[in-house]
Amino acid sequence: MSNELPVDPAALREEVKSKYREVASNPHGEFHFHTGRVAAKRLGYDAALVDRMPDAAIESFAGVANPFSLRRLEAGEKVVDAGSGAGFDCFIAAQQVGPGGAVVGIDMLPEMLEKSRATARRLELGQVEFREGLIEKMPVPDRWADVVISNGVINLCADKKQALQEVWRVLKPGGHFQFADIANGKPVPASALSNIDLWTA
Amino acid sequence: MMEEIGFVDVQIGQAADTFGGASGEKNARRFEVYGYPFMARKPA
Repeated sequence: MSNELPVDPAALREEVKSKYREVASNPHGEFHFHTGRVAAKRLGYDAALVDRMPDAAIESFAGVANPFSLRRLEAGEKVVDAGSGAGFDCFIAAQQVGPGGAVVGIDMLPEMLEKSRATARRLELGQVEFREGLIEKMPVPDRWADVVISNGVINLCADKKQALQEVWRVLKPGGHFQFADIANGKPVPASALSNIDLWTA
Repeated sequence: MMEEIGFVDVQIGQAADTFGGASGEKNARRFEVYGYPFMARKPA
C-alpha cells in the first residue's frame, strides 16, 4: 500500500465488491443507502424518464446525486459511465444521446454486468454496451469520450487521483466530466479513514 | 485535486440529502455528508 493512501486499494475493492454484489442480487435488501426508484426520485431524476424504465433497469440503482443535473447530454455524444452498476445512468444517457450516440458502461462486478447487459438487450438499446473494468484502468481508448459520467464511485476509490487521471485520459479535449459523489462538511477522524469497514458502512 | 490534474470550469451543484430516511442517515448527519453533482471540463 502506498504511504499516501489511507487504505489498501485492493482490500477496499473487495469490500466494495461484496457490498454491491448484494445490491445486484438482492436490490430490495437492507442497505445504509436508498436504492431503486426511491433513490432516483430523491435525487431529482426526471420522473418521466424514470417512470418509463422497467424495474430491472432501476432496482439496483444506488447513486448519490444526479450527474445530469448540471448539463443535459447532447445528441450524438460518446459517453463513458465509470462504475455503471446495473446500468441505470447509462440508460438515461442513451435516451439523451439518442441512437447516433454511444454509451459505454464500465463495471468491475460480473453480477452487475450481467444485469445491465440483459436490460440493454430488453430495451433494444444498440448504442449501449458494458465492459468489465475498473475506473482506475478503463478499457476505453485515449480521448474517446465526449463525456464521462460517474455516480457514487470515486468516493469508494482509495486512490482518487489515479481515478481522475484515468478520466482525463479517456476524455477528448473539450470533453465534460459530470459526476455525482458525496462530500462531508465535517472532517472524518483519521482512525475512521483508515478503517476499511467504514468506507462502505 | 481536479484542477491539479488539469480540469477547468469546475462546478458544484445543489446538495442532495442522499441518506435521509435511510439507515445511514445517522452517520451522514454526524459528518454532514450530502451528495452533489459536479462538472468539469478538459480544456480543448
